[in-house]
Amino acid sequence: MTAALLTLADSRLPAGGHTHSGGVEQAIAAGLLSDPGSLAAFLRRRLATSGAVAAGLAAAACRAADAVDPVASLAALDAEADARTPSPALRAASRQQGRGLVRVGSRAWPHPAWAALPAQPHHPLALGVAAATGGLTPRDAAHAAAYLSISGPATAAQRLLAMDPITVAAVTARLAPEVDEVAGASIGGLPAATDPLLDLLAEVHTARNDRFFAS
Amino acid sequence: MEVVARCDARGRTVLPVVRASGQLAVRRTGAASVHLVATAFGPLGGDDVEIRLVVEAGARLAVHSVAAAVVLPARGESPPSRQVVRAEVAGVLHLAPEPTVVTARADHRAELHAQLSDDAELTATEQVLLGRVGEEPGRWTGTTRIERHGRPLVHTTIGLGPGAPAWLPPVAPRAYVSTVSMGGPQAEVATGVDAVRLPLPGGWVGTAWAEELHEAVTRLASVTPRPVQDLVEVAR
Amino acid sequence: MPPDHRIDDYVDPYTPEHRHGGPLRVGLGGPVGSGKTALAAALCRTLGAEYDLAVVTNDIYTTEDADFLRRNAVLPDDRIEAVQTGCCPHTAIRDDITANLDAVELLESRHPGLELVFVESGGDNLTASFSYGLVDVQVFVVDVAGGDKVPRKGGPGVTASDLLVVNKTDLAPLVGADLGVMRRDSDAVRGDKPTLLISLREDPAATEVAEWVREQVRAKALQTAS
Repeated sequence: MTAALLTLADSRLPAGGHTHSGGVEQAIAAGLLSDPGSLAAFLRRRLATSGAVAAGLAAAACRAADAVDPVASLAALDAEADARTPSPALRAASRQQGRGLVRVGSRAWPHPAWAALPAQPHHPLALGVAAATGGLTPRDAAHAAAYLSISGPATAAQRLLAMDPITVAAVTARLAPEVDEVAGASIGGLPAATDPLLDLLAEVHTARNDRFFAS
Repeated sequence: MEVVARCDARGRTVLPVVRASGQLAVRRTGAASVHLVATAFGPLGGDDVEIRLVVEAGARLAVHSVAAAVVLPARGESPPSRQVVRAEVAGVLHLAPEPTVVTARADHRAELHAQLSDDAELTATEQVLLGRVGEEPGRWTGTTRIERHGRPLVHTTIGLGPGAPAWLPPVAPRAYVSTVSMGGPQAEVATGVDAVRLPLPGGWVGTAWAEELHEAVTRLASVTPRPVQDLVEVAR
Repeated sequence: MPPDHRIDDYVDPYTPEHRHGGPLRVGLGGPVGSGKTALAAALCRTLGAEYDLAVVTNDIYTTEDADFLRRNAVLPDDRIEAVQTGCCPHTAIRDDITANLDAVELLESRHPGLELVFVESGGDNLTASFSYGLVDVQVFVVDVAGGDKVPRKGGPGVTASDLLVVNKTDLAPLVGADLGVMRRDSDAVRGDKPTLLISLREDPAATEVAEWVREQVRAKALQTAS
């Protein structure tokens, strides 16, 4: 079922990811991200924090889709996602992307589990349910979540800085072992790793009215 | 270590349980306040301290410490030291220990798990400095989980110091402070220089970082809804 | 394929989700400065009393277009939604329409009686067009000042849009553009599809475009009823 995983992780899956920079737009504005080295550092801190949280939640949501009471299980995970995402801007970004993924995922892989999700679920929850309905495992869901935590932001940096796309692809590809490690370590539990810098960047960003990206 | 705060028949707080053993002693310093006192240097690598705080309905409790905790590594391969606070709050709990200084090679884990009932109020502050003057920074990991009736309100883990995955240049500060305040009005978002305050259901959490502790405290104050005077005093 | 075989024997049939009812969604696309926002404002003024309507703007960088519509009080604030397009305005209206769908659905939930939604794209090049997953019909706006070669150059916006609007005809003598050439070239590449040459300066009500929009609303109503 690898092909379904490739579909989930494909940046061209029309789920709204392209309008989110994962903090990259504000990191550039704040002078924290300007070249391949600082991009790699930014992606690593994002992967280790929100990537790990997303991976844990996605794996758990994948399991919850097959649970005895998926509605209650997924609602509990949604509350855990909120507790791990105190930034209102980041919550909104996650729920916006969750809604987008439900829209395409429920058409691609029709299944009763979609109806068990709360309205506008956090993105990792939608991802977990997409993985389950696409015949994938919690491990696959965690890998997709970890990978997506850096692939979209990397593309955003490429667009905003007119960075060499080959450089950006190389930076992202070289993080693959860390992506695997974060995904693997997140499958069994629900990591709560937080980066206050990302919270701050997200809140400053959302208050701007001159921005390319939704987050 | 365990402290229980109870509201007596006349509506005053009494502390029927105040006990400690091992590396921490606890002293009554007021009708509703205690101070933690380290009985030896440390915490040392490998130390494991659990603090249980119970504040019953109508009661108040303030927990302070008499001096900064200087976390030292054990000799040789030093395991992490760990301090876990488990709080059950139906009254008012104010948790404001002195700063934690994590010396070179030390690795400290601080956890706060709080269960709140409906009318509970909780204010918990944390001040961390990595390394003494002129010293390499140590490593600190702080986890906060607060629940109300079993529902998680906030659950975050912050890792600082060399090797912590999100402690990377250009943002790898030596000083970090945070305050979580529950039971008051839900505060709006506020942002400042290296400081951010975020709303929680029935409260807020503020975080700031800097190279020096006093700078971090000032930055946190800049995004804090009401003055955290005692916090500022402490850091001076 | 043998005559007794059907396509469903070979592929897993997928039935796209069809929207029933709901407002007519009209895409307004075209290059920067051709007058998309001015046209949207004109249409809102002309049609605002007739229809329950709203606008989604896709500015490239700022909320300038949304602000323009608000400032000119063309529509109340709660009838204008601005979306961010992640530096890719054409992606947001064609390849991944999620953000725009969210905005349209938000407006629909806020105004249950909504009859007409204009989705204004960020100014883009001649290859940008709307996905029909987002809009029912689309208008492509070019202007005379861009040169009378534009219709001949084609591109999906010019050739495939449901209505081509050539704006700023009042500037033709000033920029040496031949309106006859533009009309002829447009007709040549567009087949039966209509082209309107207009000047919003001379006709701020955008009378002809508004009438075309009315026809589309009626057509959709007939389609929905059938």
